[in-house]
Amino acid sequence: MSDKLFLTVKDLRKAYGEGGSYAQVLKGVSINVNRSEMCVIQGTSGSGKSTLLNCIGGLDSIDSGSVAVDGTLIEGLKGEKLSDYRRDNLGFIFQFYNLVPNLTVRENIQVCEYLTKDPLDIDELIAVLGLTEHQHKFPAQLSGGQQQRCAIARALAKNPKVLLCDEPTGALDSKTSRDILVLLENINRKYGTTMLIVTHNNSIKNMVDHVIYIKDGEISKDYYNEAKVPASELEDL
Amino acid sequence: MGWILFKRALRDLKAGWARYVALSALIVFSIFIVTSLMGAAVTVIDYTEIRDRELCCEDGEFSVFVPLRNEELEKITSKGVSVEKMFFADYKAGEEKVLRVFKVREKINQISVVEGALPANDNEAVIERRYSEVNNIKVGDKVSVGGKELTVTGIGAAPDYNNMIKKITDSVVDSKAFGLLFVTPKAYDELYKTGSSVSSEEYYYAYLLNGKMTEEELKNLLEDIEFDVDDVDDEYFKEYWKRMTKKKDDILEGIDELKDGAKELADGAKELADGTGELNDGVGELKKNVPDLKKGIKELDKGAAELEKGVKAYTDGVSKVSSGASALSSGASKLAAGTKALNNGAKQYGTGVDEYAKQAGAMAKSEDPYVAAVAGGFAGPAKDLANGYSQIKSGVSGVNTGAKALSDGAGDLYTGIKKLKANNNALRNGVTALHKGTSELKKGADKFADGIDELYDGSTELDKGAKELAKGAKELSDGVKEFSDEANDMIDDAFNIKTTNLMLFMNHADNPRIDTAADDVQINYTASIVFGILLVVLFAYVISVFIVHTIDQESSVIGALYSMGVKRRTLTLSYVAVPVIVAFISGVIGTLVAVLTPAGIEAQLADSLSYYSMPALSVEVTPFILIYGLVVPPVTAFIVNVLVIRKRLKKTPLALLRNEKKAVRGKEIKIKGLKFISMFRLRQMLRETRAGFTVIFGMFISLLVALMAVNTFVYCNKVKEYNVSQTKFEYMYNYKYPTEEVPEGGYEAVSEGFKKEIYGYKFDVTLMGITNDNPFFDTGDLPDNDTDIVISSAVAIKYNLKPGDEFTLEDTNSGRLYAFRVARVFDFSASMMVFMDIDRVRDMFGEPDDYYNVVFSDHPLDIDSGRLYSTVTKSEIEKSAGIYADMMGPMVTTISIGSSVIFLVVMYLMIKMMIDRSSFNISLMKVFGFRKKEVRKMYLDGNFYMVVIGALIVIPLCKVIMDYIYTRYLVSNVGVGISPSYPPVLYVIIFGVIIGLYLLINVILTSRIRRITPAEVLKNRE
Repeated sequence: MSDKLFLTVKDLRKAYGEGGSYAQVLKGVSINVNRSEMCVIQGTSGSGKSTLLNCIGGLDSIDSGSVAVDGTLIEGLKGEKLSDYRRDNLGFIFQFYNLVPNLTVRENIQVCEYLTKDPLDIDELIAVLGLTEHQHKFPAQLSGGQQQRCAIARALAKNPKVLLCDEPTGALDSKTSRDILVLLENINRKYGTTMLIVTHNNSIKNMVDHVIYIKDGEISKDYYNEAKVPASELEDL
Repeated sequence: MGWILFKRALRDLKAGWARYVALSALIVFSIFIVTSLMGAAVTVIDYTEIRDRELCCEDGEFSVFVPLRNEELEKITSKGVSVEKMFFADYKAGEEKVLRVFKVREKINQISVVEGALPANDNEAVIERRYSEVNNIKVGDKVSVGGKELTVTGIGAAPDYNNMIKKITDSVVDSKAFGLLFVTPKAYDELYKTGSSVSSEEYYYAYLLNGKMTEEELKNLLEDIEFDVDDVDDEYFKEYWKRMTKKKDDILEGIDELKDGAKELADGAKELADGTGELNDGVGELKKNVPDLKKGIKELDKGAAELEKGVKAYTDGVSKVSSGASALSSGASKLAAGTKALNNGAKQYGTGVDEYAKQAGAMAKSEDPYVAAVAGGFAGPAKDLANGYSQIKSGVSGVNTGAKALSDGAGDLYTGIKKLKANNNALRNGVTALHKGTSELKKGADKFADGIDELYDGSTELDKGAKELAKGAKELSDGVKEFSDEANDMIDDAFNIKTTNLMLFMNHADNPRIDTAADDVQINYTASIVFGILLVVLFAYVISVFIVHTIDQESSVIGALYSMGVKRRTLTLSYVAVPVIVAFISGVIGTLVAVLTPAGIEAQLADSLSYYSMPALSVEVTPFILIYGLVVPPVTAFIVNVLVIRKRLKKTPLALLRNEKKAVRGKEIKIKGLKFISMFRLRQMLRETRAGFTVIFGMFISLLVALMAVNTFVYCNKVKEYNVSQTKFEYMYNYKYPTEEVPEGGYEAVSEGFKKEIYGYKFDVTLMGITNDNPFFDTGDLPDNDTDIVISSAVAIKYNLKPGDEFTLEDTNSGRLYAFRVARVFDFSASMMVFMDIDRVRDMFGEPDDYYNVVFSDHPLDIDSGRLYSTVTKSEIEKSAGIYADMMGPMVTTISIGSSVIFLVVMYLMIKMMIDRSSFNISLMKVFGFRKKEVRKMYLDGNFYMVVIGALIVIPLCKVIMDYIYTRYLVSNVGVGISPSYPPVLYVIIFGVIIGLYLLINVILTSRIRRITPAEVLKNRE
């Protein structure tokens, strides 16, 4: 593995159900993602992109193939070790934020602070994410964008090696989506965080380094974006 | 992060404050009650230990018939045992009030003065605390006993009367009617001399073994002490003594006679043995000669046979002889005739011969010589002829004579033979009979021989038997002699009331008056620990249901946190934080309220103090109580919640993120013909199994607590009712010195006291020997044997007995065990009694035929009080019967209300949570157009069936469990045998209360369902 190569997925297969409800969701997917790279996995609904992300994140088991993140093979990890893997390497951003409803913005971020010995500075993070004035508010008091920013801050607080974003703008309006994407772009630039963004939005691919298309459980396209567009300039979000 | 999530827990707590406050209140209440009971128990138990030590509570006590002499006391004390007199006498202190008067104690069982001081002079007294409280007697007041007025200088309690029962067989304290008074020794003696006591003085001694002797050794020593009759002044005793010794003399005389008789019997038996020896020898000889006899008889028979044969021949001969004789006679006759003819012929011949001779003579004379020659020739023959003729004549004459004689003889012979012949048959019959007789004789001889054999054997046996008899008679005689000696001792034992001074020996542990409060609260202590944990488990489980609800709601958040690497343990801790905090705070509050406020331990102590005789106690809080109150609730909450929620948190992060749920229970339920709403209701019930189970669990715990109160209510009321309805006598006189004759109108009985242990407590069981005509006990005909007893229902219930069971009672004085068989059980709950026929009891205990020590009557009898130990009246029983009910009333009410509240709150919270959880669906139903009534039916009314089914299961289950606990633990120290069974109507009432509480909640929650609007759907659109 070269120094740049951060994430390697080889011949990943995953199926759900049995009998009549059996579905082969991933059919031998192989991808490589470099360190500090922003990568988009794009595909239609049911294409297997979220399943791929979940497998990489150790949230879902894999039937065959391998996933290695920063040299760590995850297919053999279970229980505490899997938790440690997620704790040491990953940050997650979800479509529906999943903030702890009765913790303030700051507290939600602090939840993840303790997970690492080397967390990011919370105040700085809050400031970077533009949440300073909202830091003592509860999620229910925030807009969707603010909540997602809070979720991003929470994910970043522990200074993860890779940020896995599952439809991070899926529940947001266009403007807010852009703001969030700008934020992700800035973070990538500022912290060098590798990002894997699952989306069905066709515009986001333009702002990232690496674009992977997945269709019916197979990689249909995998290329590097030579003409990156800043997130702030993205259209049709 | 832990702290941050803990904040979340605090906010969750704040958000659901109403429910947590309600639950917390219940936990506070539970812990408050539990720690109060435990604190009071510990205080009483510890006080008892300290008091026993500081006040030198006795190791035991004994009573004697007459006071021990100094040298007898010294025999005990010289061994290092401390002994102090605890003499007392009872005096009337007003209408239906009795004061037991003691001298002030010096060393043992010292009085703990609560207020005031010990009496300083002979007109002063210390009065027992409970009596003074109930009768409102204060220091400085005067009390009148036996006509003497005494000033109360102090109020106190004595450790040997912790349980202020008048008799040790009493089960209820009645401090209104019975108390203690402690006076100076001089005052005591003066008072007793007035003769105003209601019973004779009791000579009790308390002892402290001081580790110098064992209890058994002391008892043995006391049993060896006899008293001198002359030491006793009591006139009733003297009369009784005289009567009883006369009986003793009669018995001894009878034994002497028996001894003489036995000796005579032995002598007679010896003579008999000698006689039978001789007899046996004689029979032996006889037996030896029997073969000869048999032989002789055989010969005789043979001879008889021969004789018979001979007689036959003879008679045949006689017959023949008869015909011969006849012929002979006839021949003789003919011969006679012939001889006659011969005679005639001879005569004619003679004539001829004469003629011839004449002729011949004539011729001889002839001249003719020829003629003369011829005649000369004829002269010789003629002479011969004449000689011949003479001979013929002589012969004929002889023949004639012979013929005549023959004829006569033949005639006689014939006649004789005819006579012989005439006897022939008789002779033959006689001979035949003779032969038959000899044959019989022969047979008889055989039998005789056999008989002789048997006779010999019998004689031998007889001889042997006679020798055995002689030996036995000798032994009997010796035995009777020994018996006589033993009997003298036994009679002394039987009449030991007059010789052995010891009457009662009871150690500390067996004394129902000592340490009873501690025993009583020990049950509270144990029950509190168990019930406290059960209640906290219930409430923690209720909280866990909410937590599970929260986890379900926050499933995706939890999934997100897992995704980030937050561990399950951290999340688990964050979720159990709420119940742990609630339980901890509640525990702290409950404990503090119990410890620091008068409503807690102090109030519980007051319960003990209002029944038992103790000084006011200062509350004691042990580390265990604090640990229990402060640690048990949070730890229990932690354990319960971890167990409940860990499964929920065990899901994969993805499953949590997706909020995956297992197939909804009840979804698959399909019952044909069931309407939509009914089916929906059924499914809703199945979906909410956890909450439903919690309601039933809550019902179970609260009902268990409630049934403790209901059982107590039933128990106390039964005691009250049965004691009154089943006590048919008006008076029961317990005699110390019974009169010779039973008082007119009284029914005599013999009472013997025993002990019997059950569930760690020893109770008095009285064996009552009564007459069959005793109208006060429905025992039916009393068994006619020495082992069968008829038992009261009190005994049957207390000791779980039924007809056919064996029942062993212990006479603690003698250490003997008496095994009986239960023949019958009859309804009598007022006392722990078993019954036998009076004569059987007298026999069993070696009492005289006219002995009795109890008399029952339906009217007052004129009996001198000096003869009596005590008198029990029905009115006393009635009064004491109600004490339980009065005493337990507040507890019954408190527990009933408390448990109802617990059930109400649990049921409310659970059903409310079901509705909250379904609020989105309810809202949706409303959007769909379902009416309020229909929505209520779908989401609320299903619980009715759950409550009904739950109640139908839980009520009998709780009843069985509570009955088990109740008899074995809660009233195990009460000497009453009453079944806590309920009348059917009570079950209906309990069921009705449960349904009533449900309906109340239904009404409250119906309004909550109404408040859920279709807009909820919009709020929860995510």
